[in-house]
Amino acid sequence: MIVRLAGVSRVYMQGNIEVRAVDNLDLTIREGEFSALCGPSGSGKTTILNLIGALDAPTSGTVFLEGRDLSALGRGELSRLRRDRIGFVFQAYNLVPVLTAYENAEFVLALQNVPPPERRKRVMAVLEEVGMADYIDRRPDELSGGQQQRVAIARAVVSEPAIVLADEPTANVDTEAADTILDLMERLNRNKGVTFLFSTHDQRVMRRAGRLVRLRDGRLEADEAVP
Amino acid sequence: MQLNMLAWRSLSRNRRRTLITGFSIAFGIFLAVTFTGSGDYSYTSMIDTGAAMGQGHVSVAAVGYNARPALSRWLPDPGPAMEIARGQAAGVYPRIMGQGMFAAGARNVGAVFLAVDPAREHAGHNYFVRSIVEGELFAEGDGRGAVIGAGMAEKLNLRPGKKVILTVTDRDGQLTSELFRVSGIFRTGDRAADSGFVLLPLDRVRRTLGYGTGGVTFVAVYLDDQRRVNEVAAELALRLTSRQDVEVLTWRETQPDLSGLIAVDRLFNYLLQLLVGMIIAAGILNTMLMSVLERRRELGIMMALGMTPGQVVRLVLIESFWLGCLGVVMGIVLTAPWFHYMSQTGIDLSRLIGQEYSAAGVLVDPVMKLRLYRESGAAILAAVFTLTLAAAVYPAIRAGRIMPVDAIKEK
Repeated sequence: MIVRLAGVSRVYMQGNIEVRAVDNLDLTIREGEFSALCGPSGSGKTTILNLIGALDAPTSGTVFLEGRDLSALGRGELSRLRRDRIGFVFQAYNLVPVLTAYENAEFVLALQNVPPPERRKRVMAVLEEVGMADYIDRRPDELSGGQQQRVAIARAVVSEPAIVLADEPTANVDTEAADTILDLMERLNRNKGVTFLFSTHDQRVMRRAGRLVRLRDGRLEADEAVP
Repeated sequence: MQLNMLAWRSLSRNRRRTLITGFSIAFGIFLAVTFTGSGDYSYTSMIDTGAAMGQGHVSVAAVGYNARPALSRWLPDPGPAMEIARGQAAGVYPRIMGQGMFAAGARNVGAVFLAVDPAREHAGHNYFVRSIVEGELFAEGDGRGAVIGAGMAEKLNLRPGKKVILTVTDRDGQLTSELFRVSGIFRTGDRAADSGFVLLPLDRVRRTLGYGTGGVTFVAVYLDDQRRVNEVAAELALRLTSRQDVEVLTWRETQPDLSGLIAVDRLFNYLLQLLVGMIIAAGILNTMLMSVLERRRELGIMMALGMTPGQVVRLVLIESFWLGCLGVVMGIVLTAPWFHYMSQTGIDLSRLIGQEYSAAGVLVDPVMKLRLYRESGAAILAAVFTLTLAAAVYPAIRAGRIMPVDAIKEK
């Protein structure tokens, strides 16, 4: 198993009001899964992705990634863990604005100090895979939303992480682009064995998932395999 | 990760912000060069002028002469000291300086006289010789020529060829007189010097004062570069340790008023530069901080993707390093034409301060010019560079503390 959440809660304070975004959640994600976290807004989907992605820390409970207790790691170690073992796809794409599509896709490999020739080979292969090889010199503001998200997926998978966490990856793109992105994620999962965990509240997206983890008010409502 | 590459991307793709910061660094260099250059020029000019008014950059004098310049304090044999000084200096001159009464007809004035050897004297090391406007320097050391200031010439109604009588106390305190004939008139522009200073032939004055054939009150030592004063004075003092009758003095001791004036002015100059430096640093700090705050989301994304806080700190510092480099290049480009003009031509301030502006008894050049010593230039560049890096430390630390989970939510 790649991810295990054991009794995880995340509580925020909004002024004097306590908001329980995740409430005593137990969850495991296995290698090669294509799973969706679904539920209405405020059900805790993004918070769970942030906790698994070592971007946030639980108020109580423990998050394990590949067997490592994330609460035992310092900021630097968490950064390196994100760099080496986790791929991120954000709802708002979150490409680095001053870098080109190629440089964005290359970013994590550069952080890992992968030698330039190998880096170039791997980046071009993955950009080819996501259909963005012809746009390598474009900066994010010169790409459509769908194109930016494809570059973001390339960036997330190029370093061959243990898991790719995608937060509403199709929320900001049109139907056609959403289908392309889902096709791409499915293909990467099927052909390359990349483990995906994505959040969504879109029924069409849910239908593509291999497993649906339904959330409500930060709690697990249902966990079902999709045939 | 090639943080350098990333820093360059950030700088080159935010050209406006980069150029604004680069310009503020360049402006700092411009101001620092102007302040330091004007100090380097004016202090050197004043020190050299002060030295050329008689006592040199370094002076080897009879013990006690400087504290109380009486003609009874003299050096009978300055030869060895001159020999030692010659190896260190651009010019070494045996001189006698004292006070006496000069009379012509029924009129008389008190004045300082400087007895010089015309065969050795070099106009570059004697402000009065190079200021002769009528007649010439006497040619013979034992002759009776005298070069007087224009003010004295007016007071005593003298012109070249006329006689003037010096009355002075000799080495034994006895009053004695000598007749001289005016060979030239100088005009320095300084009223006190022009009305109260006289050049006389060394050998004749020696005879008048009973100094024998080689006696002087001091040996004036001139250097090519006034900054070597302490080094040369220390070397001379070391080599003259066996001579109990001499003391080695620098211009700071022979002209304490000038030294004090320069020290105070230099202090104000430094304070002004410090103030300007702080303003420039605040500008850079502000720009860097704004740059970090504007890029919170961008930096947050990078951290989310795996960049460590330490790498983010280094990224901001590297950006600041390259900004410093850019600022230095821009500063050189901006300052070079100004410096060239100011070092060659300068700005004539005589309308503001007059032609005859003197400070601590030394004429000040009314043309404001710039001169920058190599070490001053290096110090400016190093200081600006250090300021740029120092100003980036706080923004860099702020950048390293960004929490990616919060930053990536920002619009």
